Amino acid sequence: MSQIDRKLPMAVGKKVIWGSGILLAVFIVLGPVYLLIKYSISDVSSINTGGEPIPLWPYHPTLSIYSYLFSDIRFYRVLMNSIIIALSSVGLSMLLGVPAAYILGTYRIPGRKTILLGIISVRLFPDIASVIPIVQLFINLGVHQTYLGVIMAHTLLALPYVIFIGIGAFESIPKDLEQQAWVMGADRFQTFVKILFPLAIPGLAAAAIYTFLLSWDEFIFAYFLSLGREDIFTLTLYLNGIKYAEPQNLLSAISVCLSLPVIIFTLMVQRYMVAGVTTGSMK
Amino acid sequence: MRTDSKESFKDWVIRAWPLFPAALYLFGFLIIVFVYLACLSLSETSITTSFPTLNSFKELFNDDEFHSALVNTIVFTVIGTPLELIAGLIFAMLVYRTFFMRGLIRSIFLIPLAIPALVTAMLLFVLFDYPGGHVNHLLLGNYSIFPAVIDTPIGWRSSNLFAMGISLLGKIWRDMPISMLILLAGLNSIDPELFDAAKTMGASLRKRFSSIIIPLILPSIASVLLLRSVEMWKEFIFPFVLSGRNRLMGTLIDYYYNGLGNSHMAAAVAIIMVVCIVVSTIIILKSMEIIQNILYKR
Repeated sequence: MSQIDRKLPMAVGKKVIWGSGILLAVFIVLGPVYLLIKYSISDVSSINTGGEPIPLWPYHPTLSIYSYLFSDIRFYRVLMNSIIIALSSVGLSMLLGVPAAYILGTYRIPGRKTILLGIISVRLFPDIASVIPIVQLFINLGVHQTYLGVIMAHTLLALPYVIFIGIGAFESIPKDLEQQAWVMGADRFQTFVKILFPLAIPGLAAAAIYTFLLSWDEFIFAYFLSLGREDIFTLTLYLNGIKYAEPQNLLSAISVCLSLPVIIFTLMVQRYMVAGVTTGSMK
Repeated sequence: MRTDSKESFKDWVIRAWPLFPAALYLFGFLIIVFVYLACLSLSETSITTSFPTLNSFKELFNDDEFHSALVNTIVFTVIGTPLELIAGLIFAMLVYRTFFMRGLIRSIFLIPLAIPALVTAMLLFVLFDYPGGHVNHLLLGNYSIFPAVIDTPIGWRSSNLFAMGISLLGKIWRDMPISMLILLAGLNSIDPELFDAAKTMGASLRKRFSSIIIPLILPSIASVLLLRSVEMWKEFIFPFVLSGRNRLMGTLIDYYYNGLGNSHMAAAVAIIMVVCIVVSTIIILKSMEIIQNILYKR
């Protein structure tokens, strides 16, 4: 289709239909984003309109809710919790995942296929079904309602992705390089640290960003593992907890803060994400 | 690297040891999850009954909450999975046939995936608010662009039908890019020469769609249906935020565990959910096989 349409331009009528289809699709995708931003800059009179229709653009657009948010100590606390948990999850899952990805991406060890299949099947198991056993286990281990518990759970979720993205990163490095290093007398550890790891960094960075985002907007495990301990609540739990109590512009402003890093980083690692989705390792 | 199938186990360990921590972590948790799930669902809160007992399941099947959650989840999956496929197909076709700023349009279409599910749910929570909220205002005819459809505002979250509807809406909006990307990969792998040939032979657009595109992207369609149906069965966040006491199996687990403190019944629901996923996966695989046979015979 692509070739022939480039040679013979579409009829005007078709073009109009096609163009309006694209416009409608863009509207469907961006409309909710617009509404979210609109709510977050709304003043009180644009939300509690007293019977008047809610305006599509606030009467008096204002950033005051953001300045309120950033002067709120509770917001900083949950923000710090989110960052601590996300960064620790990145650290732990890279520590476990990178060596595994190095082995699976560099060596054709026996049993490789079985291991890969096993890693995928771990990820396919529904998280809402595995959360009860894991909470029970963490209660027994004494890490229920602690940072460590949430970090361990997020690592469990992220590790398959880290391994899969990491395998891709190590596989793309030419085998010759490693062999030359061996010939020159480097041992395996030196080869890994000085040759392979630096070359794999772009791919591994994508894995780290992905893990950060996964932990940043994860809800189920964080919720089950920290319910009853509000001082370790992450941003997502905080937002959910105040949904009946706080005004809509505050909910929207927190939502925007929650989404911004995700949107920015997702566009950065888009290439890896697209590859991950199409190979079925990401969802 | 040289691979010798006869290498000793010791050599294998020496070579592969950096793999072990991660493997231990993943498979250790997997085993623990299975064992705990089985033990929890086969025991009871009261200590009088002996260990393997089906009482939790019996109790479950007598519970109206479970009945409605099961029916809701089945309806949610059966309606939602094809809708996600159709939405993904429409967006994929739009990107596929666009040559002007294609990369930009694809990036725009990826945005829902970059919005956390909780944020999407929260936005719908605000939009479908009762009695205010944009949607109620719109349907009441408060905006000049839209006619009045209803007289009194609708309590979206308290009605089972509407609560499921808006959960589904959020779910499809947010996950559309995933279906789109899978189908787009399938579309991009079709040889354009085929369309050339079909067009020269006078095949209409509809004919080309049904006899070339659909059969050739059937594997992509199958993987969309498989992956999306699993996601539908285990859906949690949208009904959790949006549907109040109208539950799916995912939110029922939360209700039993955190609401009633009954880990045994929660584990039993989890087991039933896994069984549903396995059964529906088998059904989808079998029916895709049949569809493939029909399409290729024609």
